Amino acid sequence: MAQDMTQDMTQDQAFLELTGISKNFSLTRALDEVDFSCKRGSVHAILGENGAGKSTLIKIMSGVLQADSGTMSVEGKPVHFLTPSEAAASGIVCIFQELSLIPDLSVAENISLSNPPRRFGLIDKKHQNVIANELLARIKCEDVDPNSLVRDLSLSRRQMVEIAKSLGKKPKVLILDEATSALTSRDVETVYGLLDELKNDNVTSLFISHRMHEVERLCDTLSVFRNGRHVETFGKGERTDRDIVRLMIGRDVDAHFPPKPERKAKKPHLIVNDLRWENVINGVHLEVGKGEIIGLGGLDGQGQKELLLAMFGVLRGLEGTITIDGKLANPSSPAEAKSKKMRIALVPEDRKTEGLMLPMSIADNLIASSFNQVTTGFLIDTAKEKAVVAEGLAKLQIKIGSVDDPVATLSGGNQQKVVIAKWLMTDPEIILLNDPTRGIDVGTKQEIYKLMNELAAEGKAILFYSTDYAELIGCCNRVAVMYDGAIVAELEGDAITEEALVAASLNIDTNKGEAA
Amino acid sequence: MSIFPTLTPENKPIVIASVFILAILAVGTAYTLSTQGTAPLLSPNYLLQQLQTGSFLGIAAAGMMMVILLGHIDLSIPWTLTAAAMMATTVGGDLAIPTGIAVGAAIGLFNGLGVAYLRIPSMIFTLGVDSVVRGLMVAHTGGFAPQTAATPIMRFLAAEKILGIPVAIFVWLAVSIVIAVILRRTGFGRSIYATGNREGAAYLSGIRTKAVVVGAFVTSGICAGVAGVLLAGYSAKAYQGMGDAFLLPAIAAVVLGGTRILGGQGRYIGTVVGVILIVLLNSVLSIMQMPEAGRQVIYGTVIISMLLVYGRTAKITS
Repeated sequence: MAQDMTQDMTQDQAFLELTGISKNFSLTRALDEVDFSCKRGSVHAILGENGAGKSTLIKIMSGVLQADSGTMSVEGKPVHFLTPSEAAASGIVCIFQELSLIPDLSVAENISLSNPPRRFGLIDKKHQNVIANELLARIKCEDVDPNSLVRDLSLSRRQMVEIAKSLGKKPKVLILDEATSALTSRDVETVYGLLDELKNDNVTSLFISHRMHEVERLCDTLSVFRNGRHVETFGKGERTDRDIVRLMIGRDVDAHFPPKPERKAKKPHLIVNDLRWENVINGVHLEVGKGEIIGLGGLDGQGQKELLLAMFGVLRGLEGTITIDGKLANPSSPAEAKSKKMRIALVPEDRKTEGLMLPMSIADNLIASSFNQVTTGFLIDTAKEKAVVAEGLAKLQIKIGSVDDPVATLSGGNQQKVVIAKWLMTDPEIILLNDPTRGIDVGTKQEIYKLMNELAAEGKAILFYSTDYAELIGCCNRVAVMYDGAIVAELEGDAITEEALVAASLNIDTNKGEAA
Repeated sequence: MSIFPTLTPENKPIVIASVFILAILAVGTAYTLSTQGTAPLLSPNYLLQQLQTGSFLGIAAAGMMMVILLGHIDLSIPWTLTAAAMMATTVGGDLAIPTGIAVGAAIGLFNGLGVAYLRIPSMIFTLGVDSVVRGLMVAHTGGFAPQTAATPIMRFLAAEKILGIPVAIFVWLAVSIVIAVILRRTGFGRSIYATGNREGAAYLSGIRTKAVVVGAFVTSGICAGVAGVLLAGYSAKAYQGMGDAFLLPAIAAVVLGGTRILGGQGRYIGTVVGVILIVLLNSVLSIMQMPEAGRQVIYGTVIISMLLVYGRTAKITS
């Protein structure tokens, strides 16, 4: 029935239309009254900074999440998807950033996973392979054997299988969320060709990418999102790169930051030289001096997290050197990184799984990195332990009922403070912060900024990764922007502007040096 | 340290298990009063005898608890125990007890290295080690009970009494104090809890998690070794399969004592309570002349139903 209707529809009518869509995650508003539509046969780019709401939007379109309010319609008929398979039945298929393949199943099994061909009620393996071969041929991946296991394929080939799998669902709207990020250049060309082909078949492609040259080459329509709002939609060529960057930033930066620490012209305390790791870190050079706050910028997933982990001794198979105070360091484990020799601390990305043992008490969490400090002989000196824990709590002004309460009972902001306090108790010289203010309240954020300043004033070397540009501008002496595993720009002093940061994040050149 | 402070998730099972122990004694006493008109279950002699029986299991369970707190398991306890007993009696003399403990430590070290560095699941690795040790012991003894006997000091520790109290209870007490102090008052013990709760966060806190895993398995091996030496002293000799009856009761005692089978939570006193519960339950059921089949059914039902009761606590999911 739906197909009869499409034949009546004109090319220009919106195929997928969203009206007044809002979505909240506890206290943060991810999408705010978003209106969005896309036409048949269009290649439509969705642009925006981290946290602009792009991922939430496509998750709602593809049935992974449900909107809190607003309506969605396909070909003019209202729809309400509760699951991704319902969305797929309406022709909306998403290729997600995180691969959704099952490593221990074969390529053919993965491609037909949700709807395998059956014969007498059993899966028809022969037919399954035929389907897989057809789809793989369509994306020029004839070299992939449908019977090989997904785990044996390279990342790029896996991504292509993922694309083949979604083509198998016969999409009318294909959503590509950073789908080209893991591809080799040959496969990227194939995907470009595929998008052209889909366009001719009147299939809509929604294309999310941080690579401006891809967007320019492929897309006919661009929509910019900012802070959960749909800012503007325009045709290709109607805006310059600079305008697009401006639209992505907006002009509503208003956080209060304490004055930056004075930068002392000293020799760098920490030098990272030509660091490489598995195509994720591609030759990073970085210097951090005592008393400096160095920002790490760039879009999500450009190797910032891995860089911090590498410096903390977590990653195996590193190439390159990490020098501390003139001595070669290259820590082999977090235990070595925190030792007296190196004095490195890392506040990890996810406090709930990496920073804290949630069911354990606040005191147990605080002391977890400092057992050696409170141990005399063989035994922990409980009086000393209490004193050290109390000191850590006081330093960060953590408000708690009892130190014996599970740390899970604290608010997000206080949990993050516990993680930071735990590390300050080890008396580190180098402090690595992985997005420490993510998901915490404004008041605590301010406290963390202030604390960073105090620590810098005490002569600590601080490396601060943040996905929030305003923070980088407000807190850092220098910001190193990462793209594709390398530092593509280092901004200093007044040159740290949101415009420059966004441009560097996208690795595009706008007219530099203009006063903001 | 009071045994019954406020009911936190780790204390609740201990309280329930303690109440259940009293219930077993009450039911058993009611039975004997009605059939024989006496209350032998409440006599100090009977209770001390139960504690003596429990000390072998208790020492093995103490080591098992260290491993379970990490979310691992040590299935090699039966033959670690047997090997320690056999090698102790083979060597004999003053070196008998150190030999038994060293055998336990060596097997534990091997278990720990396999689990921590080869990353083989402990359930598989220790099962394999158990089988290998069994093979080695059969080769060593030719498949028969060894002709060697326990040394006098082994017999003293396991079977003698001081002031009317079995010495084995003192050995259990000593092991218990050591384990409880390790868990509460050393960096190693605290690291066990942290690693068992969330290995990734413990590792990123700078805890040497692999060393912690190895240490826990070594402790478990040593405890099994001590239990083996003691049991050989009690029986005056080592014999094939002497450890077989200890594996499942040791796991059950730890879990009934409130230690989370997935690791990270549990108090040592709970394991002691769990051991007493299991020993008493077995004994009272046999006093009540329950046939073997019925005993097995009741024993299993008790374990399952108690765990169901424990499960009804508010959980903090991580």
